[in-house]
Amino acid sequence: MNNKINSKALQEFKEVSGTLINPALLEWKEKGGKVIGCMYHFIPEEIITAAGLLPFRMRATGSKGTELSESCFTQINCSYVRHLFDSGMRGDQAFLDGVVSVNNCDHIRRLYDNWQSKINTPYMHFLVFPKKSGEEQVEAYRKELLKFKKSLEEAFQVEITDERLREAIERHNETRRLQRKLYNFRKTANPPITGGDIMATMVAGTAMPKDQYHSLLHQLLEDCANHEGYNGYSARLMLIGGEIDNPEFVEVVESQGGIVVSDLLGYGSRSFMKDVDNTGDPLTSLARYQVMERPADPRIFGRTTLERDKYVKQMVKEYNVDGVVSVRLPLCDPWGFEQVNLSKYLKSKSIPHLPLEIEYILGSTGQIKTRVQAFLETITENNHHANN
Amino acid sequence: MQTTNRALERFFEYRDRVKGFIEGIEQSPEPNPVLLKFFSLILENDEKTIDCIEHNKPLLSSWYGNAPEIYAAMDIHYYTVVDNIKAHSPFTNDLEMMDASPYPSDVCALIKLGAYGVESGIAPAPTAIIAMLEPCDAQPAIHEAWKNTESWKDIPVFALDHPYGIEEDDFSYFAGELKRMIAFLEDHVGQKMDYNKLREVIERTNQQYEAWAEYNELRRAIPCPHDSFVGSNLGWPTTQHITSGHPGAIEIFNMLIFDAEQRIKEKKGWTENERIRILWADLVPIWADDIAAWLGEEWGANIVMDFQGYTPYEHIDTSTEESMLLGLAKRNLVDVPMIRQARGTIDIMIEDITRMSKDYRCDCIIFPGHAGHKDQSASIAFLKEACRDLKIPLLTLTVDLFDPRYTPIDVLKRQISEFFEAHGLG
Repeated sequence: MNNKINSKALQEFKEVSGTLINPALLEWKEKGGKVIGCMYHFIPEEIITAAGLLPFRMRATGSKGTELSESCFTQINCSYVRHLFDSGMRGDQAFLDGVVSVNNCDHIRRLYDNWQSKINTPYMHFLVFPKKSGEEQVEAYRKELLKFKKSLEEAFQVEITDERLREAIERHNETRRLQRKLYNFRKTANPPITGGDIMATMVAGTAMPKDQYHSLLHQLLEDCANHEGYNGYSARLMLIGGEIDNPEFVEVVESQGGIVVSDLLGYGSRSFMKDVDNTGDPLTSLARYQVMERPADPRIFGRTTLERDKYVKQMVKEYNVDGVVSVRLPLCDPWGFEQVNLSKYLKSKSIPHLPLEIEYILGSTGQIKTRVQAFLETITENNHHANN
Repeated sequence: MQTTNRALERFFEYRDRVKGFIEGIEQSPEPNPVLLKFFSLILENDEKTIDCIEHNKPLLSSWYGNAPEIYAAMDIHYYTVVDNIKAHSPFTNDLEMMDASPYPSDVCALIKLGAYGVESGIAPAPTAIIAMLEPCDAQPAIHEAWKNTESWKDIPVFALDHPYGIEEDDFSYFAGELKRMIAFLEDHVGQKMDYNKLREVIERTNQQYEAWAEYNELRRAIPCPHDSFVGSNLGWPTTQHITSGHPGAIEIFNMLIFDAEQRIKEKKGWTENERIRILWADLVPIWADDIAAWLGEEWGANIVMDFQGYTPYEHIDTSTEESMLLGLAKRNLVDVPMIRQARGTIDIMIEDITRMSKDYRCDCIIFPGHAGHKDQSASIAFLKEACRDLKIPLLTLTVDLFDPRYTPIDVLKRQISEFFEAHGLG
């Protein structure tokens, strides 16, 4: 991609997302700060922030293999959990003072059981997230969040007042607002920032103290405003998937001439599209946000593909998307079905779609590049025919 | 109309095939009364489904873990999309047709058959759907797939949210879900709940499960009086997949009990010279007959217990509406197969394996490693630890319980033989 953005803030984000223990995290720990690993989304990190702790979305960045997972998982368990567990067993996650997990899927919930059994993390908590969306489920999840809050208070000898929760919600909402501003730049004809850079920025937001992140994000927003943007790309792409956390993968997709301008990803727009309502009871607001309001992914029934299709349609239009690339880790049942449902929907709207399967740690990228290249050629051909 | 005809044709095929089985058994030199009864119950159930399709009567699509006792009490006929497709798959080309569907190969065959069944129109479109979101990730996914199928997209759906734990709060929450399900059914199917009838249904199921438990006790005998998987293969369909509380199910168990008692008195094991007693740590595969026969003949081995058969159903108190709903909540969270072992934490699965191994004096455990049970496969370390404590050897396989092609039977036989030899079994 020509004309790369010159941004120190972005360089810092890339450093943070490319490693587990980044300088900001190290500084936090050196000052006596505690770090709580969040083993997926659906966990309201606001509660952790309100406790004066740092929420850290768990990744297995830098993992070289899964040998230490082999005795606990089989070949029908996904590579994310196998790499993350291996990373934990090797001590790479020893900087975590606690781990919080959720029954996101069959792989993740047993990852928690295995982690609790084999890895000596001082604090552990499991949140039960409903499988469907409704008022009763908001109430049920609120009870879970109350248990979680009390558990943190006891373990870390802190008091999490409603005031502190509201402050934390405001801080996390600020993150969301800033990220929405960043994404707005991508709607333009010459986006100033690539999809790979965005991924680095978004992952960094889950790995460092909010104040530092906001400060750097403000800088990046300025850098974007001052950049003339990328041109010469062959197509505008949207990425849809689960918890893809590797900027390198997005760079591989973009290496064939397209630019990723939009996404529906756990680390992407799903995390900021809506704010948490900061009026009323904070725990209820947090529960409602996770169960009813946060843009859904296939994990939660009731907020079905029909609703998610609406988001896709909206984003395709807003970001002027030429084609969609959906991504699944092998052995993931929800995303396996989601890709099929998405294919049907996108076909009905004549939106080109490339479904990919990738392992959590990128191995050989040749096949991805070939498929993306062919996909882009199809898009270019379609656009040529449409123009004629 | 076209999909309705296709579904009707398919159900005629099921009906005719089952009638054929019944005729075959009746004409055999020693007709097996248990199998005759079993197939007559299945036939009766299929004929009810046909009646619903032909005469546009209310028909519910649901699953075993959704308190089907309630449907019986409301006079709503229910069917499970995958049941007949799975059971008749050895006689159809459904597995091959399923292969042509776009779903990934690493998804459980049962789920893919369910998606294929609806898309192809061989599963009759119901009046309403009660979605079961346990025991695995694929359950919500299949209901989403149905929502995305043209012929099913507008069918009203209510999903039961099974909680994670086994505390009173969890049972109360699920009892609330059952109440909401009843309200949904009253609205969308037009039938009213009759709690007196529910009492009768539950009391019959209480008797059924007592009889099943009694039969299971008899399987502890050495040698085991009946073949591998017998109670499980017959018990689960007749207690959970046909009209709940059918008196025929109790008859079947009583016949099994009588025969087992006789054989125990005569010291007759099913397997001649029983040498290996196996715990099968999952559900019964559709290719069970092949593997069971070979185990008996080749190794003197008998699968004396499995997850499907060993579901310790508790007696439900029918004194009040509340006690019945709470009892049903507990039954469908903790007692029913697969949901019992897969929902929630690892503890129940390991406790069950420990207890079953001891109670049934198993010489070894075979963990099938079903492709759809990803949580169980991620429990392998706990399983190994339990087996070390029990001093029982463990064999871990990788199979698809619902697709015999996933791991060829010859490969399984070889793996099992090597395991037996390595541990000096048989």
